[in-house]
Amino acid sequence: MLSLAARTTLGDVELDVELEVAPGECLALAGPSGAGKTSVLRVAAGLLRPRWGRVAAGERVWLDTERGVDVPPEERRCGYVFQDYALFPHLSAWRNVAYPLRRLPRGERRRRALELLERFGLAARADAHPATLSGGERQRVALARALALEPRLILLDEPLAALDARTRASAARELAAVLRESSVPAILVTHDFTEAAQLGDRVAVIDRGRIVQQGSPSELAAAPRSAFVADFTGAVVLAGTARPGGDGLTRVQLEGGGEVASTDPGEGPVWVSVYPWEITVEPAGEAPHGSAVNWVEAEVLTVTEVGNRVRLGLAGPQPLAAEVTAGSVERLALRPGARVVATWKATATRLVAH
Amino acid sequence: MAGCALLAAACGGDEGERPALVIAAAASLTEALEACAEEAGDGLGAELRFSFAGSDELAAQIRQGVPVDVFAAANTQLPDDLHAEGLLEEPVEFATNELVLAAAPGAGIGSFADAAQPGVVLVTGSESVPVGAYTEAALDRLPEAQAEAIRANVRSREPDVKGIVGKLTHGAADAGFVYATDVRAAGDQLRRIPLPERAQPVVALAAGVVSAARRPGLASRYVEGLTEGPCAEALADAGFGSP
Amino acid sequence: MSSRSAFALLLGLCAGVVVLFLALPVVAIFVDSSPGALLASLCEEGALDALWLSLRCTAIATAIILVVGTPAAYLLATRSFRGRAAVITAIELPLVLPPAVAGIALLAALGPSGILGGAIEAAGIRLSLATAGVVVALVFVAAPFYVRQAIAAFGAVDRTLLDASRTLGVSEAGSFVRVMIPAAAPGLAAGTALALGRALGEFGATLMFAGSFQGITQTVPLAIYDRFATDFDAALALSAVLVAVSAAILLAVKLLARGEPLGGWGTR
Repeated sequence: MLSLAARTTLGDVELDVELEVAPGECLALAGPSGAGKTSVLRVAAGLLRPRWGRVAAGERVWLDTERGVDVPPEERRCGYVFQDYALFPHLSAWRNVAYPLRRLPRGERRRRALELLERFGLAARADAHPATLSGGERQRVALARALALEPRLILLDEPLAALDARTRASAARELAAVLRESSVPAILVTHDFTEAAQLGDRVAVIDRGRIVQQGSPSELAAAPRSAFVADFTGAVVLAGTARPGGDGLTRVQLEGGGEVASTDPGEGPVWVSVYPWEITVEPAGEAPHGSAVNWVEAEVLTVTEVGNRVRLGLAGPQPLAAEVTAGSVERLALRPGARVVATWKATATRLVAH
Repeated sequence: MAGCALLAAACGGDEGERPALVIAAAASLTEALEACAEEAGDGLGAELRFSFAGSDELAAQIRQGVPVDVFAAANTQLPDDLHAEGLLEEPVEFATNELVLAAAPGAGIGSFADAAQPGVVLVTGSESVPVGAYTEAALDRLPEAQAEAIRANVRSREPDVKGIVGKLTHGAADAGFVYATDVRAAGDQLRRIPLPERAQPVVALAAGVVSAARRPGLASRYVEGLTEGPCAEALADAGFGSP
Repeated sequence: MSSRSAFALLLGLCAGVVVLFLALPVVAIFVDSSPGALLASLCEEGALDALWLSLRCTAIATAIILVVGTPAAYLLATRSFRGRAAVITAIELPLVLPPAVAGIALLAALGPSGILGGAIEAAGIRLSLATAGVVVALVFVAAPFYVRQAIAAFGAVDRTLLDASRTLGVSEAGSFVRVMIPAAAPGLAAGTALALGRALGEFGATLMFAGSFQGITQTVPLAIYDRFATDFDAALALSAVLVAVSAAILLAVKLLARGEPLGGWGTR
């Protein structure tokens, strides 16, 4: 269990956060740039000393400003993947990975490093220098290096941001696998809610130095506690299993029941994402029209005004959110407890491999 | 405009119309020749330009073809050499000097014999400059043991007399072999200790007109003026003897 | 002729003049000295003494500059504090000092009657008219060339490399040696080459502060000056040797910086 609490000034932002991450859990820290996400990672790693703070990994107290405890970063054993990966330019890939292993005998170091590189499909690139590696390869070397230490805490700073769209999907899959296997707490920083939903077991939205809401990705999307979270969460994310349908559409069996169609290809476990403003709400009992229209029966949980529109938190097989006009709310008498059918088009349904 | 004219006059700019005469002179002649420069220049109707440096360096420059009209050296050897090479007209001896031991006031050097004491730090001129050559000549005339003891105390061989005086006034060395005129120019910063009479070399200074001089007439009149008139007086004031 | 090709011609002309003007005197040294005279002058005892002294003093001075200057440059490049700009300017000032001023300044500071002269003497160290004085003069004039370059080199290294190294279990001191120095190596090597060249050619400050004595304080430039008047050929030959040695050192440092593992990588 990692517990972290910190208060400090970052330029004109006052950082004030408190969070806990269980072993094996990945907390996605999501928010716009400048919100203080990276600073939280730096406090955890010991690279930034807050004005006031407490950081403990299990029984080990890493920082306690009141008691004057501040374990230096080199003794905390955090596997930190930096935003630009921070690979050492003068060392080959395997030497980068072997860097934290300097206490092992030389032969053993190389063997361990190659093992890790092989796990990420990079054994053939072991002797290449970072400058000659592709973005995806660098990301994997950085990940291998962070894991080489057998870290007590994994810290990932925008691990996918520097990748092009093509490599991002496979890198995300790989990262998800690493996080699933890991038995230590992990914090992942991202400015992209979809990424947070894909990789985080739990998402904490941070804005101007404060965590404004925490919860599962679907909880956040369905019941944002503020307009900021609503805007930020953007897409609703549902888990399901995809298989190709006969009509050129992909069918996804949702966890908890229900089936939706998408124009995206996909097979196996997937994330289904759809924007709340693509979802329309109709009174329960009305028949959906056309096979390309997805529909889910649900109950209205929350009604939140977001600017000139209203976000509805819906309880279906999985939490959902829809955005409608204030006029519709009145016309359809939408209030908590009302039964509705949420519908959206197959063309508005994105699939991301899980 | 008026301001500019005034500035030009103050800087000697009105002499711009006079022909320029370039005089390469030994560093040890600096004070004396500058003292009489204005009068000598007026007498010749020329603007005098000096280049003061080690005599050997000046001779080398003349050999490399640096345009100079007059060469005034701290010895007779260099002018004679240049004359033999056809680079200098017949040189004239115009002054004599005396080699002395100059002691820094703080150093415990009371007599010439002290220069041979172990631990004393001495500086001399490099053998390639006249003052160094004279020093070697003087040491050769001393008893061998004393000469060796003195040579063993030498810690630097400077490329010109100014270097020796500088090392003494800055306390880097206790004593050094320089000309009597240098001790006089240094005022109370240096103490003069005469050499034993038998060791004293003949220090004669010779000057000549450079064969390639652009103004040989003016140059030869300047050389003549070193032995009579204002420059002769200035040399005497600086402590030079007459030939 | 179009104005464009006229401009190209002007560029070419200026480049030609620059190359000719800079290269001709250096070439003249070798053209004017016969190989025989060169060998003969090298075999002369004083010349060998001077060469050996120059190499020794330059090596010691460079070692001092690297050992003390590298951490100092690192500090100045990576920490911000009040008066940092003033400190850097003070360090760079000797760059623009004429050699004679450098000599006077050293005498005033470390000479027997200088500010610290008494303390140095009390410590039993003799600098003036001693080999140690030559080293001090070389360090004084050459260090700014290295330190300045090293500050720029460390400043250009991505600071997250240091953070990465620390999270990977290496202390700041260890990270400095294992990451920051190798990452800054190309810049450090360039600075070393500049400092070496400056130290090898030092003349004025050495003469004024340390004097000139064969085997003790007479470095190659002083030996050249000593021979200049009496034996121009020997001076020329010794100059040729100095140029050759300087060029060899410059080339070696450049090659060293280009080869692995010291250099040749991209910025990231």
